[in-house]
Amino acid sequence: MEPLILASASCDPASDNICKPDNVIELFQFEDALFSIGPFHFTRTVFLIFLAMTVVLLLLYFGLRKRSIVPGRLGVFVESLVTYVRDEIAVSIIGPEGVRYTAYLLSVFLFILVGNLFEVTPLVNFPITSRMAIPLFLSLATWVIFVVVGFAENGFRYLGGLVWPKSVPWAMRPLVGLIEFVSTFLLRPLTLAVRLFANMVAGHLMLTLILSSGWIFMSSFGDAPLWKTGLVGPLWFTLGLLIFVFEIAVSVLQAYIFTLLAAVYVQSSVHPEH
Amino acid sequence: MEEIKGAIALVGYGIAAIGPGIAIGIVVGNAITAMARQPEAAGMVRTTMFLGIAFTEALALIGFVLFFIA
Repeated sequence: MEPLILASASCDPASDNICKPDNVIELFQFEDALFSIGPFHFTRTVFLIFLAMTVVLLLLYFGLRKRSIVPGRLGVFVESLVTYVRDEIAVSIIGPEGVRYTAYLLSVFLFILVGNLFEVTPLVNFPITSRMAIPLFLSLATWVIFVVVGFAENGFRYLGGLVWPKSVPWAMRPLVGLIEFVSTFLLRPLTLAVRLFANMVAGHLMLTLILSSGWIFMSSFGDAPLWKTGLVGPLWFTLGLLIFVFEIAVSVLQAYIFTLLAAVYVQSSVHPEH
Repeated sequence: MEEIKGAIALVGYGIAAIGPGIAIGIVVGNAITAMARQPEAAGMVRTTMFLGIAFTEALALIGFVLFFIA
């Protein structure tokens, strides 16, 4: 229980404004390395990144290894994932040329999905997407893709259409163009990363706090009054288990939303002014 | 007047959650209305609903992150 985010031990409510653990900054920086190879620090997060990559690769390899008319159970599952990303996300949003982006969208979707589901995997219990570096990198990769696609498909008319939109009245064009420019090039990658990051941090914190406080209530039997250990503890723990189920849904939904927004951003670069 | 103690960031997050809360309610409510009127368009409506939720939710989440970095 030592590394648990429990702030109560090191907090004095009289002097501290807010009881937060000492290692909140760990969400944005790397924690203590397990071992280091030169400048590369191999932390738990890095280990889990490689684990997620391996899981995705194995899933795709074993799912699509035998191409038969009637695939096996795993084959059906993987094929339905692939066709869902291709048909429902890539093609239905970007259009017929969306097939080109299926590979990127599928790998992003599966990586985020596995990374998010680490949150509710027993013995792992740590979503790698709750470290800012990973959502930020994924969203910057998406940013590079949709900017490059915009310039490649439309040339400088892409930038011109953004900062000098023809469809609004002449007097409004500088203002709308400025807002469009800021929201496209600055706010899109930021919100894309922050959405995934904040959802996973919030879920992780909620699970940790509720499950562990329920456990502490129950395990302090004898020290605390009976209504606390016998009534509040199990109820609190049950609430934690309900949130556990809720977090599975959130994990899948956030992976879906990230992929969906990546597709929407690419679409707005392929066909601007829609 | 007594000094106000506590974290202002907490109040900020509370305020930041009001608008998106109302907005997500409006988005989902209208999506349900649309799906009930035209069940055959439910797939398209659902995708757009998630998009709308994602855009509105970002504001609340930025408030949540400010709580950590403030």
